[in-house]
Amino acid sequence: MCLGIPMQIKEIDGFTARCEAKGVEREVSLFMLQHEALATDDFVVVHVGYAIQKVSPQEAQSAWEIYDEMLTKMDPQTDA
Amino acid sequence: MSLTAKAWLTQLRQLPLTERFRIMNVCGGHERSITQAGLRGALPTQIELIPGPGCPVCVCPEEDIYQAIELALNEEITLLAFGDMLRVPVNVSKQQPRSLDQAHGAGADIRPIASPIEALKLAKSDPNREFVFFAAGFETTTAPVASLLVEGIPDNLSILLSGRLTWPAVSMLLESDTPGFDALVAPGHVATVMGPEEWQFVVEKHQLPAAVAGFTSESLLAATYSVCRQSLEDRRFLDNCYAELVKPEGNPSARAHLSAALEVVDANWRGIGTIPQSGFSLHADYAQWDARLRYPEYDKADRKRAGEMPAGCDCAQVVLGKKYPNQCKLYGTACVPRNPVGPCMVSDEGACRIWWSGGVRPD
Repeated sequence: MCLGIPMQIKEIDGFTARCEAKGVEREVSLFMLQHEALATDDFVVVHVGYAIQKVSPQEAQSAWEIYDEMLTKMDPQTDA
Repeated sequence: MSLTAKAWLTQLRQLPLTERFRIMNVCGGHERSITQAGLRGALPTQIELIPGPGCPVCVCPEEDIYQAIELALNEEITLLAFGDMLRVPVNVSKQQPRSLDQAHGAGADIRPIASPIEALKLAKSDPNREFVFFAAGFETTTAPVASLLVEGIPDNLSILLSGRLTWPAVSMLLESDTPGFDALVAPGHVATVMGPEEWQFVVEKHQLPAAVAGFTSESLLAATYSVCRQSLEDRRFLDNCYAELVKPEGNPSARAHLSAALEVVDANWRGIGTIPQSGFSLHADYAQWDARLRYPEYDKADRKRAGEMPAGCDCAQVVLGKKYPNQCKLYGTACVPRNPVGPCMVSDEGACRIWWSGGVRPD
């Protein structure tokens, strides 16, 4: 459950943002990042629907490269 | 991170390690990255990576799950829980539902959710129905629950909280006669929320090397290299190998919400017992949304059987890093992900489940 996914902010409405990663959009709460100045196009790490930290575009990109690698290694058959 | 994983491995192989060096991690995410990347096999043989108390579902007290099952079966409510909680078995006779999944099969309204926001939306969409959110998790997951409370939740939603703090379990191990590890890799997202400082005790009080790590091989290997080098040079400090996310003092908004909505209390860990000041409960100001107070008849004292895991199941030993998953007699025989006996084979963050998914089979 501690997985954090880097997502890009597409739209902000109060403490709610529409965020995108890999073409998938999700509603994300910014309530835990009230101390940060956030704007459209910024990247945040999202955990259970809440942004927990702002990250640079480079950090988001490198995190996704690693997750892509991990996802390709996940074989659902072995979970049976 | 300046070095690649390959470069870190080269550096690690050049270290003059002569004795066994045991490094504990306390995060299911770390364990999954280590196992999937095959880091154990790539490291020098002296370095041992031990999965420790890193799975909140695994340590969620049996009585809390039983309480959630009974609530869902007997009250006119909808019970909401994170998905990997649903298949955790409790100790009841075979005629009774043994998990939230089985209770759902028996007619209870139980729904998996992936975010506290879903709980809020569901409760708002049906104001005449009562919703109970059974929230188990470590600090990273409990902070959003606190934020949910601070932001405001409707009266028809209450929280059955089973939140835990990670560091007190490590402290308990270090205070014991046999901690079983020589260095600690601290959890990256817990430290993102709480700040790295709460792991300082490992270095200052127990003189053990420690490093906060992220979830990539590079970050985990950097932390591994750091703690090995700290030991070899006899110069211990809390290193931060996840500086891109982990800032001094952590996430101030999240910590403020945790302080406002929740209190730190003594708490039971399944199979382990009570660890002082290791759990969260709802602050008195938020008592009206506390499911334990809203449904007091289900908070049964006689159910509190600290230390209980299913018969033959070594989950408690696995959680404490005393046994590896494949040293449990049930691993891969009676206990597999499709038919789990203990919680460590159920949760995505359980060491048994992770090792099984990573292809580790019984010896």
